[in-house]
Formats: sequence, structure tokens, C-alpha cells
Amino acid sequence: MSTQVHATLSEDAVEQISSDLDEPEWLLETRLSALEALEELDMPDVIQTPGRKWTNLDALDYETLVDPLDYAQDKDRIDAEGVDVLSWSEALDEHGELIEDHFGSVVDPQRDYLTALSTALFSAGTVVYVPEGVDAEDVKIRTTMNSQSLFNYTLVVAEESASVTILERQTTGEDIDGDQYYSGVVEAVAGENAYVQYGTLQNLSEESYNYQVKRGHADTYGSIDWIEGNIGSRLTKSSVETRLLGDSSESQIVGAFFGHDDQHVDIAARVWHEAEHTVADLVTRGVLDDEARSVYEGVQDVGTDAWDTSSYQRENTLMLSDESEADASPKLIINNHDTEASHSATVGQVDAEDMFYMTSRGVHPEKAKNMLVEGFFVPVLEEVAVDELREDLDQLIYERLRE
Amino acid sequence: MSSDQDHLKETDTEARFEFKKDEKSAFETEKGLTEETVRVISEDKDEPEWMLQRRLRALKQFQEMPMPEGWPGAPDLSEVDIDHIVPYIRPDIETRGGAENWEDLPEEIQDTFDKLGIPEAEKNALSGVGAQYESEIVYQNMQERWEEKGVIFCDMDKAVQEHEELVKEHFMTKCVPPSDNKFAALHGAVWSGGSFVYIPEDTTVNMPVQAYFRMNSEGMGQFEHTLIIAEENSEVHYIEGCSAPKYSAFNLHSGGVEVFVGENAHVQYSTVQNWSKNTYNLNTKRAICEAEGTMEWVSGSMGSKATMLYPSTVLKGPGATDNHITIAMAGEGQDIDTGAKVYHNAPDTKSTIESKSIAKDGGRTNYRGLVHIADGAEDSSTSVECDALMFDNDSTSDTMPYMEIQESKVDVAHEATVGKIGDEDVFYLQSRGLDDDDAKQMIVAGFIEPITEELPIEYAVELNRLIELEMEGSLG
Repeated sequence: MSTQVHATLSEDAVEQISSDLDEPEWLLETRLSALEALEELDMPDVIQTPGRKWTNLDALDYETLVDPLDYAQDKDRIDAEGVDVLSWSEALDEHGELIEDHFGSVVDPQRDYLTALSTALFSAGTVVYVPEGVDAEDVKIRTTMNSQSLFNYTLVVAEESASVTILERQTTGEDIDGDQYYSGVVEAVAGENAYVQYGTLQNLSEESYNYQVKRGHADTYGSIDWIEGNIGSRLTKSSVETRLLGDSSESQIVGAFFGHDDQHVDIAARVWHEAEHTVADLVTRGVLDDEARSVYEGVQDVGTDAWDTSSYQRENTLMLSDESEADASPKLIINNHDTEASHSATVGQVDAEDMFYMTSRGVHPEKAKNMLVEGFFVPVLEEVAVDELREDLDQLIYERLRE
Repeated sequence: MSSDQDHLKETDTEARFEFKKDEKSAFETEKGLTEETVRVISEDKDEPEWMLQRRLRALKQFQEMPMPEGWPGAPDLSEVDIDHIVPYIRPDIETRGGAENWEDLPEEIQDTFDKLGIPEAEKNALSGVGAQYESEIVYQNMQERWEEKGVIFCDMDKAVQEHEELVKEHFMTKCVPPSDNKFAALHGAVWSGGSFVYIPEDTTVNMPVQAYFRMNSEGMGQFEHTLIIAEENSEVHYIEGCSAPKYSAFNLHSGGVEVFVGENAHVQYSTVQNWSKNTYNLNTKRAICEAEGTMEWVSGSMGSKATMLYPSTVLKGPGATDNHITIAMAGEGQDIDTGAKVYHNAPDTKSTIESKSIAKDGGRTNYRGLVHIADGAEDSSTSVECDALMFDNDSTSDTMPYMEIQESKVDVAHEATVGKIGDEDVFYLQSRGLDDDDAKQMIVAGFIEPITEELPIEYAVELNRLIELEMEGSLG
């Protein structure tokens, strides 16, 4: 057993949650086996180099962080015409079979300790169901965590030729003091020729620990785009992943983070090319100030059958402080030679020449630096197709620079 | 001892390969690597007590350390059964020169060398005891020129006897301690042979120092140790001629290379390895570079069944520089996992890594690198460039760089590309009258040019020939 299981992480607690949501038997069983598996499961994989784990998840103290039955949130769901954006109780009621078909099909409920914990205990969340041919541009989900811990589970199913853009904001309520734990699992299924864009803007309190897995399956001609904005939390471990399962499917993963104080951001962007003519583009930019630390892992995995693959990855980190640390490992795994793949990563500081140029034009150094940092994010912001998400992210960056 | 030798002489080539599996060795009564084995090696070499103690300490560490595990995509080492392999060290030492005659070499190896156009003299140099002397004479001649300047270039075993203080101070202490990894510990326990190079202050050795003695008895062994000490303001280019395939019955090569680059000194270490395809090539190579010093690693990895090799440099003094140029080629059944590690531990340090790989016929190449920039290594810069070329769909090419950056005033860039051999390029060359194979060879030659131009011409030619042979599938 890898981690101490809290005394309140009991079958009773899980049964209570399940009954609160009025769940069918199969879901309760899935939860209970996830709970049981906690005994066996390890923490999520983190990058290791000799003598060093880049993110120390074992340091999380679940004893004090997790209280399964104390969950409170504010949730706004703004749906669009023709699409169902439902709470779990409603969704189970209306789309029981659909959920049974897809739940756990993309993210293995027992992928690791923290995912299994989320499966066993989730009480909040949303199901987004986009029927065949429906275009839904403006689904918004705003989650405000008002309890010590919150387990959020989102399932997105876009049927053939459907399209949906979902914007999720994650924040913390103001009335909670002390350490908090937020766990989010997102499963996205894009049917044939379907398009799913899922943007997240995470601005949890800096006393919170944040674990997220977002993973999608794209069918033929399907597209899954992720936008991953991380501003808040003390420690974030987030994996954003797409399996390109159908011919000519595509995925873009755009990430932006801005760490300050002693924040630790561990982000993974992973794509598996498993069919022909698939395309992936991974773009991440991050800024680190004070003692903040970033860990980035990018994986482009091209399978044996993935003929005619195009796969690109870029990661750039800007360090504003000597006390900060940026760790990166962009990985290429290529099993089909009919591939055009590249990745690049850079780490540096604000360009001295740019600073000189701007200050010589009379711009105050502090302001010049802020402008350059904002400018640094522009290539990523440009990739964010959702106006509102882009503007909010821009605003948060602006505010952080002027704190 | 002699009976073992006779035994080897009597057996034909195939039987020699079989010999490996028969577990007939001088240590056949012992299972695995024991203290006794280590003591016998040390005694056989008439080593001073401190070296024996170091060996025994390394043995203890080896026994306690785990296999390299948990690395994403790491080569499969499950076949590397130390209990099976290590008892064969003894015959290697006992028989003094593996193959006694050129004719004893496996045919495919002979063919390879014929095709490589390795000069007749060199063939002889690779073929046993007599030739071994011949190669020592070559060194001796060179030594006379250098000796006047205080340059030392000799066999590592000899260095233990004749340059004891230098060896004692540097041998597996600061650079590659046995505790570094399991195979470094193994190496520390059973090492044998290798080169010792010492360049005094303000001395430039303006012709490459070449070591070809890998196949000789004294310098034999898959556990050879190379120790290079370049004092302040000195310069040397050391080349290891590993193009001699280690075809022998041994299937583990675990060498150790330690390089000390003094202040403002310049060391280039070049090697082209082409181990036989039943060899596990698990080396530890490291340099420590003082202020304003420059370390250059140039390596071509062609042979072996599996290679795990990440030459590393610790940039210890301000202004130190490290350059890596590597080329890896993996054909059928080969897993070449190689890269570079650089530790920027001082300000104004610079490093560049240029890695090229070619995978074909189901081979796997992987670039696995680490760039570490420590807090305080301000104004350091590093650039990593990896390009992989793939020939077919059975092959795999991976890139797994790791970057740990703890200092903001730095400039770090990593770039990698993977692509198939360009159909258009092949078509273009074909339309100019080249056949398919020649066209591809030409493209590959162009692809690896940045590497070959760093090597002395004969090595560049050899590398190109090796690649040509590999592409023809004619290398065993």
C-alpha cells in the first residue's frame, strides 16, 4: 500500500455519496472497487531523474485534506441550445445508459491512487451530452469549491458531427481557510467528425492542492482541443491527454501557467497517434517568479499504425527569479517512420536587449518587464479560440504581474 | 591457465561462442561474482593493496545496488544475468588475447574488417598476443616523442604499477565513483585494462592519441578503464578505436571513462563503437571540467544489442565548456539508448549537444539526455539538438530529454525532429542516376556530416563505411 487511507474513506461514506446522487448499482460498484483498489495503487507517475522525483505527491497529507462527506460547491452551468449540461443526478436519470457506456472508458478509474480516490468519492460534476449534428458553442461550467475537499467528475460525449466548446472555471470560495484538496477528472469522447474544445481556467486558492486528469478519445475526423490555464493552487499535478484513435483525427493542447511564491505546477501534455493521418500540436508557455517551480512533460507517441503523422510540440518557460526552477522533459516516441515530428523547449529570462530597448524609450523598468511578460504569453493566447477564456487568462496574468 | 588456453585454441569459432553457454571457466565452481573472483583478478595483476580494497568496496556496492529500473522506455536488461556473465571474466584474463589468430575471428568479423579496409597491420594488431606487442611498439614510438614533455600514455594496468599516486588520487574517486550506478560498481570490482593518459601543464599533444588495444590481452576486456588527466593549459585529443568489434564470447561490456579537464585545458574524446550484436554495452563516462576548460565528446554508436550510454560532463569551474556530438544507428534487434548529461555547476558555462540517430530494420534509437543548471550557474547557456531519421515502420525512435533549470539568468534551448528519409530527396537523387541504395546512403552521409567532420579523416571514413555496411545489412 502506497499511502495511508483515511479512516473516513470507508464503504459507508462511498455508499452515502452514491445514494445522495441516486446512482444506479453499477456506478456504486465502480466506486467501491476503486476504493478497494486504493490499497494497491501507487501515486500517479512523476518524472524522476537520478536521486530526484520532480514532484513529491507523497507529501500530500490526505488524512487532513479529504473529508468525503463534507462537500460543498457553487456550480453554474450555462448550456446551449440542443445540448444537455446536467448534474450527475439529472444526467443519471436522463441518460443512464449513455453514462454507463462511457464512464471510465477514457480515464481508467484505477489509473493511479489519486484517480481512484476521485472515482470513489466524486460528488460534484457535470455531464455534457451533445447529440448528433448539434453545435453548441458556449457551454460554461463554473465550479467554486466551498469545502475542504471536492471531487469533480466531468463526462463529455459529443456524438457524430456534433461540436461543443466548454469553458470551465475552477475557483475557491472565500469562506474556507487552510489547506484544501481539489480533484478533477474529465473524460471526453468525440465521435466521428465531432469537435470538442475544453478549456479550463484554474484559479484555486494558493492553499489548495490540485490534481486533475483530462483525457479524450477522438474518432475518425474527430477533434479534441484542450486549453489548460493554471494560475492558482499551491501544488498542481495536471495531465491533459488525447488518444487519436480514428483516421484523420486531431488534437491541440494549449497550456499557460504563471507561478509565483512557492507554487509548484506539474503539467503533462500527452498525445497518442494511433491511426492514420492524425495531427497534434502541443503548445505551452509558462512564467515563474519568486520560488515557484514548474515541471513539464510532453509526450508525442506515434504508434506503429499511425501512418502519415504530423506532431509538433513547443514549450517555453520564462524565469523571473533566481529562486525559481523550471524542469522540462518533452518526449518523442516514434514507432512509425512516416512521421513528421518535432519538439522544442526553451528556458530563459526576460530578454536584456528588449528591456534595454524599452527602458531607453522611457518605459519604467517594472512596466517594461510586465509588458514583456504579457507579450511572452501572446503566442499561446492567440491559440485560445475561446474569447472569454483568453480575456480572463489575460486579466489574471495582468493582475498577477501587478500584485 | 595454460590448459584453458589450449582449450580455447582447440575449439573452432562456433564452439567458442558455445563455450560461453557451457559455463566452462576458470571459476566454474563459483556462481556469480564473488570476493574470491575479485581477489584473484587483483592478485593476477599484482596490484597494490589499496586497489584491491577499492575493488572489494565496489563489489559490495554492486551487490547492494539495484539494476537501472523504472526508466521510461529503457532497454530490456533482463537477459543480463550477472551470475552468468561474470564468471567469464577469468577466461578473458587467463587466455591473454582472446583470439590468438586472425583466422580465429568469426568469419563475419573478418569480412567486416576486409570491407572496412582496415589496414593489414591493424588487422594483425587486433588478432592476438603478437599483434598486441606490435601495437605496444606503436605506442612506445609515440611515447618517446611525448615522454620528453612528460606525457604519459600507457595501459591502465601498467599505470597502477608505474604511476600509482596519480591513479590512486583519480581512479574512481571524484569522477565516476562505483556508487554511481550498478554497472559502474561492477566495473569498479572487475575492471581490467584500458588507457591511462596524463598531459602535463602547458602541453599540447597536437596529434590524436589513439588506443586500439581493446582486443589485446593486457588491455582486453569488456571492463576496461580509461583515465585521462589533462593539467592546466594542456590539450589532447584521445580516440578510442572501438571499431574492433568485441565479437568474443562475452556479452557484457561495462567500461568506465574518467576525464579530468584542468583549468583552461582542452580534451576531446572520440570513439566509434561497433560491438557485436550480442553485446550489452553499459558504460559510464564522465568528465570534470575546471574553469575555462573545454570537454568535447564525439561518439558514434553502431553495434551492440543494447547500449545505455550517456557521457556526462560536470562543468565545475566558471567559463567551462562542454560539447557533445553523438550519432547512433540501430538496425535489427538493436536498442541504442544514448545521449548526454551536462551539469552546469558554475557561472558562464556553456554546453551544446548535437545528436543524430538512424533507425532501420526494427532497431530502436533513443536520445536520453539531462541538462542540469544549478542555482548560481548564472549566464550559462545550453543548446540541445536531436535529429532522428527513420527508414521503416518496424523501427522506433524516441527522444527523452530532461531539463532541470534552477537559475533564471540562463539560455536553454532544446530542439528535436524526427522524420522519415525524404521520398523527394531519394527521387531527386534517383533521377540523377543513383540507385535507391546509393541515394539513401548519400542522404545518410549528409545527415551525419556534422559528426564525421569532427573526426580525423580515417575515423570519418571508417564511420561512413560502417554505416554503409549497416545499410547494406552486411554487418553481422
